[in-house]
Amino acid sequence: MRLVIMPLALAAATVLVVVWAHRGAVGAEAGALATGTLAVRVREHVVLCAVSTVLAVAVAVPAGVAATRPALRRLGPPLLFVANVGQSVPTIAVLALAFSVTGIGFRTAVIGLWAYSVLPVLRNTVAGLAGVDPSTVEAARGMGMSPAQVLRRVELPLAWPVLVAGIRTAAVVNVGTAALATFVGAGGLGALITVGLDNQRDRILYTGAALTALLALAVDWAIATLAELTHQRPSR
Amino acid sequence: MIRYEDATKRYGAGPPALDRLTLDVPAGETCVLVGPSGGGKTTALKMVNRLVEPTSGRVLIDGRDVASTDPVTLRRGIGYVIQQVGLFPHLDVAANVATVPRLLGWERRRIDARVDELLDLVGLEPATYRHRRPDELSGGQRQRVGVARALAADPPILLMDEPFGAVDPVTRARLQDEFLRLQRTLRRTVVLVTHDIDEALRLGDRLAVLATGGRLEQYGTPADVLARPATPFVAGFVGAGRTLRRLDLLAATDALAPSGPTPGARGPAVGPTATLADVMAALLTSDAAAVRVVDDGSARGIVTLDSIRAALRADGEP
Repeated sequence: MRLVIMPLALAAATVLVVVWAHRGAVGAEAGALATGTLAVRVREHVVLCAVSTVLAVAVAVPAGVAATRPALRRLGPPLLFVANVGQSVPTIAVLALAFSVTGIGFRTAVIGLWAYSVLPVLRNTVAGLAGVDPSTVEAARGMGMSPAQVLRRVELPLAWPVLVAGIRTAAVVNVGTAALATFVGAGGLGALITVGLDNQRDRILYTGAALTALLALAVDWAIATLAELTHQRPSR
Repeated sequence: MIRYEDATKRYGAGPPALDRLTLDVPAGETCVLVGPSGGGKTTALKMVNRLVEPTSGRVLIDGRDVASTDPVTLRRGIGYVIQQVGLFPHLDVAANVATVPRLLGWERRRIDARVDELLDLVGLEPATYRHRRPDELSGGQRQRVGVARALAADPPILLMDEPFGAVDPVTRARLQDEFLRLQRTLRRTVVLVTHDIDEALRLGDRLAVLATGGRLEQYGTPADVLARPATPFVAGFVGAGRTLRRLDLLAATDALAPSGPTPGARGPAVGPTATLADVMAALLTSDAAAVRVVDDGSARGIVTLDSIRAALRADGEP
């Protein structure tokens, strides 16, 4: 049910938003709200989020796995501390910092978003792996699984729901945060919002905000569904 | 055969967890490591499959130091049952049992057949339980799956760490019976850890009594340990009931009185496989002073309180 209803609802809402944007558009609004322009903004937004989230997962999951290995277990708490500190710095400040290094553009926005989404993934990877019953891991070792087999066949499948929840949080937060990317010239739906604000064109502002929200819901649904489908349970 | 040679484990300063353990476990026998917590029982057990490495000394299997075998290879050849069972919650019963055969790369058909065979062996109807999830099983059923999983690749050695610890007393007694039945046919070399002296006496061919600090106090058969406790610690651990327990281990035919049965005698009688505990029960529930031991209708002799005393004296201290 959820598999069908949610995407249909999201698609319908998107169509409504676009139709509403076109219907009442007057003068300069029409250009900013043309379907082609909206599509470009959405694509920019999606690419920003996707690239930064994938990079965050690529770094945070291996780091989380490493930090829970027996040899490096002491590394876990300091690593989480650093990540927590990173998380408490406002996004706009992270963007400003990245801006001072890499200048204006896509790369800067990705770095900012990436820095922000590493923590939830890292935290949940560590929590998920630490939450696996030690007796289960010991049984796996005692039966002759190599460390890599224990990780792949036992630890990761059992930590998976928690791990994916972290990725989901990071991705959804990223959709919202990517609205700030426009300040470093990386476009995205944030561009609509700022244009609307600057020119007191509420229709453009609302369209940007609504599309951002719908995108966040869509990403949330997509990852939740993926998690559901990949969660290993005994076959029936 | 498993041999411990001066196996010692120290964690930091302080007394060792296991102190120069030396003993042999003959092939096909069940050796129970028993003692209070802090006695190093589990440490000793885990040295066999290298989950714990000795600080000094060594452990040999069939004359070969386990330290010279790759731990992963070693462990695939040793069955392992742990107290919390440690079934994989994301896999069904069949996949749990199939763990080691899969690691060994068996063919699928062979694995399926083996899984069914093992579930039968531990008393779980394959058709019903094959696709159950661990959280759909009772504690006793989980233990059975744990045992089936340990036996999957037919290992000659079985390590069991408090295998019946997490179940109620009734289930535990039944699992113990089944273990004895299995072991009578399978004759694996078993090292079993328990803190329960009754379980140890019941399951073990040999008992290794370990005291706090990882010292081996006594190594012997259950009858030995009951009849001749080597140290005050063992006597205390075996407890005040040890004389009564010895009656369980001695046969009525070991305590026949020198004077034969009176022809045509009536009164209580026991069979040829009865223990002295059965005889005592018969004595206590009748007015008779003697119990006849009858084999297939013909009297083998009589047992009296005096002859029981004599038998206990002959077997060890009174």
